[in-house]
Amino acid sequence: MSNRHEGQEARPARRSDGLLLIPVKAVMQVIDVPLRAWQRLAGLTGMASFFLLPNMAVFAIFVLVPFVINFVYSVTGGTEIFLDQRFYVGAAQYRDIFDCRSYLDPSTCVEDGFWVSTRNTALFVVVQVALMILVALVTALVLNREIAGRSFWRAVFFFPVLLSPVVVGLIWRWILQRQGLLNLVLYELFGFEPYSWLTDRNAAFAAAVGVTIWARVGFFALILLAGLQAIPKELYEAAEMDGTRRTRVFFRITLPLLMPNLLVVLVLGLIRSVQVFDEAYVLTGGGPGTSTMYLTQYIYEKGFASDLRDPGLAAAASILMGAVLVVLTLVQMAASRRNEKKGER
Amino acid sequence: MSRITLEKVCKSFGALGVLHDIDLDIRDGEFVVFVGPSGCGKSTLLRQIAGLDRPTSGEIHIDGKLVNTVPAADRGLAMVFQSYALYPHMSVRQNLAFGLENARMPRAEIDKRIAEAARMLEIGDYLERRPGQLSGGQRQRVAIGRAIVRNPTAFLLDEPLSNLDAELRISMRAELSALHDRLRTTMIYVTHDQIEAMTLASRIVVLRKGRVEQVGTPLDLYNRPANRFVAGFIGAPSMNFVKGTVVEAGDTATSVSLMGLSVAVPRPAAGVAPGQAVSVGLRPQHISLAGDGGDGVPVEVTLVEALGSETVIHGRTGGGERLQAVLAGQHALRAGESVRLAFAPADLHLFDDAGLRLA
Repeated sequence: MSNRHEGQEARPARRSDGLLLIPVKAVMQVIDVPLRAWQRLAGLTGMASFFLLPNMAVFAIFVLVPFVINFVYSVTGGTEIFLDQRFYVGAAQYRDIFDCRSYLDPSTCVEDGFWVSTRNTALFVVVQVALMILVALVTALVLNREIAGRSFWRAVFFFPVLLSPVVVGLIWRWILQRQGLLNLVLYELFGFEPYSWLTDRNAAFAAAVGVTIWARVGFFALILLAGLQAIPKELYEAAEMDGTRRTRVFFRITLPLLMPNLLVVLVLGLIRSVQVFDEAYVLTGGGPGTSTMYLTQYIYEKGFASDLRDPGLAAAASILMGAVLVVLTLVQMAASRRNEKKGER
Repeated sequence: MSRITLEKVCKSFGALGVLHDIDLDIRDGEFVVFVGPSGCGKSTLLRQIAGLDRPTSGEIHIDGKLVNTVPAADRGLAMVFQSYALYPHMSVRQNLAFGLENARMPRAEIDKRIAEAARMLEIGDYLERRPGQLSGGQRQRVAIGRAIVRNPTAFLLDEPLSNLDAELRISMRAELSALHDRLRTTMIYVTHDQIEAMTLASRIVVLRKGRVEQVGTPLDLYNRPANRFVAGFIGAPSMNFVKGTVVEAGDTATSVSLMGLSVAVPRPAAGVAPGQAVSVGLRPQHISLAGDGGDGVPVEVTLVEALGSETVIHGRTGGGERLQAVLAGQHALRAGESVRLAFAPADLHLFDDAGLRLA
């Protein structure tokens, strides 16, 4: 019995196919000899490890080794970048970071920059993630409706995701700077005096939040849109037959069924938000003052950019931030597993 | 209880016409089945009645009231979907209660109705389970339960058994029939399975390409199909059609020559003339093996399907026409053998060029 679907016809073999395959077959035959010998020695499991080796090597060279080196930096002191010129200090960097009279008041900490940037990051994460999920949800709900030019609008919302974060930062800096497009438009339309959006604490924070939302919302909206489209339309029709009000449909049907996607968006959004750097750095440079300096910027400046650079302290801070990200990743994995189990039921 | 009347109902999606001038009168308490091949518009028609779609033109009346613009929820109907459409994140109890809560029904009344439906459908043991934890048959019962608790004036069922395996479908079919007998509520049932239609319906509506081909009781449709399409669609295996020529058109009988025989069909055929070509229909169940020396059509057997209680044979006449016959019992026949097949003239159906019934 043929497995071919009805109506599906075999593609006629072409002569060129055979010709193209000759060198491939020749190479395969050459490789086959040592591979067979190796398989006899290593067994099937050993072969699987063998084929995974290139990937594992890339992971080790570019992730594992730097991580270990980073940890070594965090337990050494000095301003030197080469390890052989650095000296062992044990947990001193971590002790310095946590040396505070009050964690709620960064000025009482030895490493006040770390705590200022941590506080800024925490505030940024809470506001940015909450607003982004809201905007992504509204966007997905609108794009899920049968509106004119739906594909076009989906592309429009996704487009910023394709831009480099630095480009995003530069575009918005040109728009928001004192001589930027926004002030020009406000002046031309309403006669408003130019305002320094990026040098006002609150406006700069709002700009950092707004710009990162603009740049990323398309990606998260897409995840939610996929979730919305996976909800069978018969459920809505059943709800319609049941005389369900729109708000009740949203809160009792759409939202619960979208929860797995919302959870993914929440955790991915948190992870990305904690790592905020490029857009915000290009946009505000961390200013005014340190009001938009986030943890990644603190680590970068401490390790590489400041006059009194301290690679050890930067490494210790990055490991602490890494720990937060590991926790968030574990939450995401646990949530994914829970969803998979639910899906199986 | 409800009477549903459709007058000249049409539905188009853009330039594509899906339903054309549907006139129907569904009486109170009837079990009406819409049947037809895929894409014939039967589900679309059900959705117009449900209020999930609006007809492009025409009128739908429920108990004499025009409901074209009445929202689905206010028509007093309940629908059972092909996919069951149970809310997967809610328990069976919550699924049953959802519609009643929308209507702000008192909790005690909701609980009473759920208990009653659970008893009737034997789903009481899994009220706290979620749909994902139920089998297909159990989900189907819950879907029906959700319709029952609303105490609707009519049930609309859109291919509710098509996701079940063959065995379960047969038992659920019987349960649905029993449920209708108990509730005596109007039910409109959509299916493409003509056996479901025959076994369940008080009346069947046969649809093709968005038009009603015939409305009648199952046996009406079986015994007096209005056209070739209905004749071929109702009954399994399908009716055989062979070419024939009218020899004589009388007041009480019509003589036809077919497959080398001359046969007098004991019914008049209005408007036919001798020499007119006709299509002659003959159900496989109405064919038997001709006795020794008896009249019959010589047929070369091409395939034999022995089903135990009956034997289906496929054959070809000398004139190249294909015939299927369902013979009661077991017959030791083989492909390649020649047999003579007989039939009663009264079992023949005559259709004209356009496929309309003549006699």
